[in-house]
Amino acid sequence: MGIQTEEMMLNMGPQHPSTHGVIRFVVKSDGEVMTEAVPDVGYLHRSIEKIGEICEYNGFMPYTDRADYLSAMNANQGYAMVVEKLLGLEIPERAEYLRVIAAELNRIISHILSLGAVAMDIGAATPFVLALKEREKVNDLMEALCGQRLTYSYVRIGGVSYDMPPGFIERSLKFLADFEPFMDEFENLVPENKIFIERTAGVGVITREDAIAYNLVGPNLRASGVDWDLRRDMTYSVYPKLQFEVPVGVGSQGVVGDSFDRFIVRIKEIKQSISLLKQCFAQIPEGDFLGEIPRVMKPAVGECYVRTESSRGDMGYYLISDGSKNAFRVRIRTGSFTSMSIIEKISRGMMLADLVTFIASLDVVAPEIDR
Amino acid sequence: MSSGYFNNIKEATVSLFNGFAITLSNMFRKPVTLQYPDKTPRSVTDLMPERSRSWLKVEMPICTACLNCEKACPIDCIKITTEKDPSGRVMSGFDIDMAKCMYCGLCTEPCPTGAIHFIPEFERASFSLDQMISRFVPEGEKVVPYKVPKKDKDEEKNSAKEEAEDKAAEAEPDA
Ligand code: SF4
Ligand code: SF4
Repeated sequence: MGIQTEEMMLNMGPQHPSTHGVIRFVVKSDGEVMTEAVPDVGYLHRSIEKIGEICEYNGFMPYTDRADYLSAMNANQGYAMVVEKLLGLEIPERAEYLRVIAAELNRIISHILSLGAVAMDIGAATPFVLALKEREKVNDLMEALCGQRLTYSYVRIGGVSYDMPPGFIERSLKFLADFEPFMDEFENLVPENKIFIERTAGVGVITREDAIAYNLVGPNLRASGVDWDLRRDMTYSVYPKLQFEVPVGVGSQGVVGDSFDRFIVRIKEIKQSISLLKQCFAQIPEGDFLGEIPRVMKPAVGECYVRTESSRGDMGYYLISDGSKNAFRVRIRTGSFTSMSIIEKISRGMMLADLVTFIASLDVVAPEIDR
Repeated sequence: MSSGYFNNIKEATVSLFNGFAITLSNMFRKPVTLQYPDKTPRSVTDLMPERSRSWLKVEMPICTACLNCEKACPIDCIKITTEKDPSGRVMSGFDIDMAKCMYCGLCTEPCPTGAIHFIPEFERASFSLDQMISRFVPEGEKVVPYKVPKKDKDEEKNSAKEEAEDKAAEAEPDA
């Protein structure tokens, strides 16, 4: 008599240690092999876009922190840029540099945390703790810069809220000098580890065509071999004055676009951010950190869309103004949301344990999915 | 086939020991953590950076009751009540609900005298939401708003700030 087998439906989440926040996956599986994993999003919906219609333009800034709490500076920057475009404001150059410095520091810690989380989800606890250790150092820098460690609200419409504190450049350069050897050590510890390679190579392969069709953005898109970075291709702020490369996935473990490639692309991006920061510190001009802003912000009737490259890729803000003090409509477009849509396709025939690796390697942040 | 199998085991073992070596080397490095709260070299509030956005404080002697902070707050956690008194306009209440506050700092920026500001104090958790409301005007009392002395129009802003700072420094000990 054979063993009776049938397909089983499993709930993974909403409270699951490996989903990085409150996301639910409905998994249909036959033993270890899944036939399907359907993401069910919406558990962290906080109506941030609706709040944007109730707050005044300035008052919405703290909420953009909460849209993507791991990369709040990038989210701040995008929102400030869209309002400035609507108001037709010019901002001082020093403020642009300060924004880029803050955003790149934020990109470093967002990526390093993501790298640690991939390792943690595979079962290695040490890299995550090491990543957190480095993140705390940047948090200290951020706290000296703007007074907060997570939800920065540093950027203001028309500039930034504070200039650099005395000694900030030296402290940052010292951190970067210590950070580069750490990255070497981290590479030795994780991506050169045989067990890590076996767990990530060839897992969750996203082809170039799929990545474009499913509208993936940021490091996930680049890992699939698409050479596209908004900082270079639709440049904004002071990025045209800075030199940097855009790392793309090369398939060092056989296939382009697997979880290993996504991991390596993030490591390379961190290195680019380090070089960007050094250039910024060398180039930053003297001047004001906050430009002339109108006392009451009432943009003319119109609409506007601004795209920025946040840590999780293309972050877009769409704003409609009806001429009053509040926005008529705020729409935030985030990278994690589109990343979720591809999981259903890629997960067919995948092992359950690989799904965890796959989700972690996409670096989705639950609040950013739902907003 | 079998040589690949043994190769895999060998590589896994080598990289495992590589990891152990890094972990071990961390044992001989300076610890990065601090034992909180009683083993820090100085009191924790002293260790906070100057700009730390922790708890809001209002220097009542220099508050002009202009309500700028109340208007700037996106979640309305500041509540200022003013009354007409024989001597003029007085404040009968200035409450900040710190349980609602998200420490964004938007209220501190439009303040003309710098009366509302952050202090680097954060250990104020409490068991009831009522205790999270900071009341800067004691119940039943009235506070006369600070008047910026009239001077030359362009000078006004700067000197008001300076004077306010002097006054704040005086007010500090008993505040
Ligand atoms: S810090 Fe922000 S949330 Fe808190 S009282 Fe001030 S404006 Fe309101
Ligand atoms: S604290 Fe400052 S902004 Fe608020 S009412 Fe007083 S003077 Fe005006």
